[in-house]
Amino acid sequence: MLKLIARRILVAIPTLIILSMIIFGLQRMLPGDPIQTMMAEESDPQVIAFLREKYRLDDPVPVQYLAWVGNVLQGDFGRSLRTGLPVAEMILQKLPITVQLATMAMIMAMLIGIPAGILAAVRKNTVLDYIANAVALSGMSIPNFWLGIILIMVLAVSWKLLPASGYVPITQDFWLSVRTMLMPAFVLSTAVAAYLMRHTRSAMLGVLSSDYIRTARAKGLLSKTVILKHALGNALMPIVTLSTLLFGDLLAGAVLTEQIFVIPGFGKLIVDAVFTRDYAVVQGVVLFTAIGFIAMNILADVLYIVVNPRLRHPQ
Amino acid sequence: MTGTTTSQPLLSVEDFSLNFSGMEKANLIDGISFSVLPGQTLCLVGESGCGKSVTSLALMGLLASPPARVKCGRALFNGRDLFTLSERQRADLRGNEIAMIFQEPMTSLNPSLTVGHQIVEGIRRHNAVSSEDARARALEMLELVRIPAPEKRFDAYPHQMSGGMRQRAMIAMALANSPKLLIADEPTTALDVTIQAQILALVSRLQRETGTAMILITHDLSVVAEVADRVAVMYAGRIVETGSVEEIFSDPQHPYTLGLFGSVPSLGRRTGALATIEGSVPPLEKMPAGCRFATRCPFADQRCHREAPPRYEPTPGHQVTCWYAPLEDHVRAA
Repeated sequence: MLKLIARRILVAIPTLIILSMIIFGLQRMLPGDPIQTMMAEESDPQVIAFLREKYRLDDPVPVQYLAWVGNVLQGDFGRSLRTGLPVAEMILQKLPITVQLATMAMIMAMLIGIPAGILAAVRKNTVLDYIANAVALSGMSIPNFWLGIILIMVLAVSWKLLPASGYVPITQDFWLSVRTMLMPAFVLSTAVAAYLMRHTRSAMLGVLSSDYIRTARAKGLLSKTVILKHALGNALMPIVTLSTLLFGDLLAGAVLTEQIFVIPGFGKLIVDAVFTRDYAVVQGVVLFTAIGFIAMNILADVLYIVVNPRLRHPQ
Repeated sequence: MTGTTTSQPLLSVEDFSLNFSGMEKANLIDGISFSVLPGQTLCLVGESGCGKSVTSLALMGLLASPPARVKCGRALFNGRDLFTLSERQRADLRGNEIAMIFQEPMTSLNPSLTVGHQIVEGIRRHNAVSSEDARARALEMLELVRIPAPEKRFDAYPHQMSGGMRQRAMIAMALANSPKLLIADEPTTALDVTIQAQILALVSRLQRETGTAMILITHDLSVVAEVADRVAVMYAGRIVETGSVEEIFSDPQHPYTLGLFGSVPSLGRRTGALATIEGSVPPLEKMPAGCRFATRCPFADQRCHREAPPRYEPTPGHQVTCWYAPLEDHVRAA
């Protein structure tokens, strides 16, 4: 097991190197000059020259890249061109917010998607199945910004059930924090729930027609046991992997949702950074997200082994 | 152990017909009747697709309904009609009084649960016993089916065992609750030839020792000769001939039975070509209205195609459904 984890991490290293190059390269291709943005109307050539020197913007690109990678490896993601704060600090500040949002969204998606998938598979080709599929299709196709706005209008403005937007740290007031994030987490969860429902349904259908399900029924086991223990136990294996990967997705991309609900998370950080050409921040956030995503991939591989006895106990 | 005992049948299937929705024109299983006495072995023989497995699954209540639908008939098990029981009542019988062994040992065990757990689960479903007692019973069963090192195998996953071992585990699972009737659907077909004989010997020994009645589905006639008390020959969803194993082997009356037995190669000098049955089973929608074997039968005439053949009983307990029975008269005439 440890050997396997080590191997996965080794395999991830070249990916990370290529990724860091792309992140760095793309940034340099963006139009616009960060110093210009910083200076706004003021434009003292001496100050500009000083700043270009300070942020090493006149060095050849490969030199800039190596300097950046060297610093990153030491945990130094640089300083924001705009605020002057260390990027690492900015990320760590936003991280709990995004992690909370992604976790809540994932839990909701699993609570909705997996039972719906089981039900749709067990009641295949019935009204229930069709409804579940139609809802899943809507979940995938309704844009988050639209759903978000509608929810704010209905739940927050008209019915006043939930706070419309904002963020309360979980350490400050647990329940208020959860309540505030309920709507954005739900909006974020819809697509994932739909995805999970579809996959659970097809995995369950595959398993339900297998010979060992017939054996389980031949033993006289009740439907409940057959479905939840024998079928779900096997159908969940790919779902666990998929969920981990989807969680990686959620960590990376909640830009629109965070904007709508005014959540000061990763998404907002990166959008602000892009608009102000804040290279260091964009690089830092994207790299950090990518590392998170790769970590989730490794976790998915490991979990797959943990839940699969055929891999856990080789012959 | 022969068919002459006068005890009440354990299972008595009477005029059982079944079809699948979307194919209502002809019944997939069409008016079959047979019975099994306690402790007796009935072999259901016939080529693939003749309805042997569907019959056994229908008796177990394992056919999805819809599409499968019992059209008519009864299956009296200890006096209770299986087809009128509720799903819950059937589940209470399954794995308890009626157990089943399947053809595919490689895929018939749940890959994510240990073999021991899968046996224990069946025991605890039908008996209010502690998990320790169930475990003890499961180990006893594993020993009974001659699985070496049962303590170790108990915690093994199916993929860690060979096909033969898995089938032994399946047998242990099926017999754990001492069923009155065991349905074995080609239990050795998927195994190596050497293992086949071992498994078959094991099943019939355990069956004798426990007094369990058995319906053995097979197309292997050497198996039939070895273990059967009675034989029912199925063709295209109907039973064409039924009788004791001696009667079927020494005095086959239906042309299909004759063809089936003639197509088995025997050791020793070959005196002629192997007998074969010409053609193939017609699809259900093209089944003749009369005898379903008419399209392939060397004796068939207009009447066979049009009208259902009568039942003829050469000796008590030996029944054949054919216009040309007794066959000897016609063979001699021809």
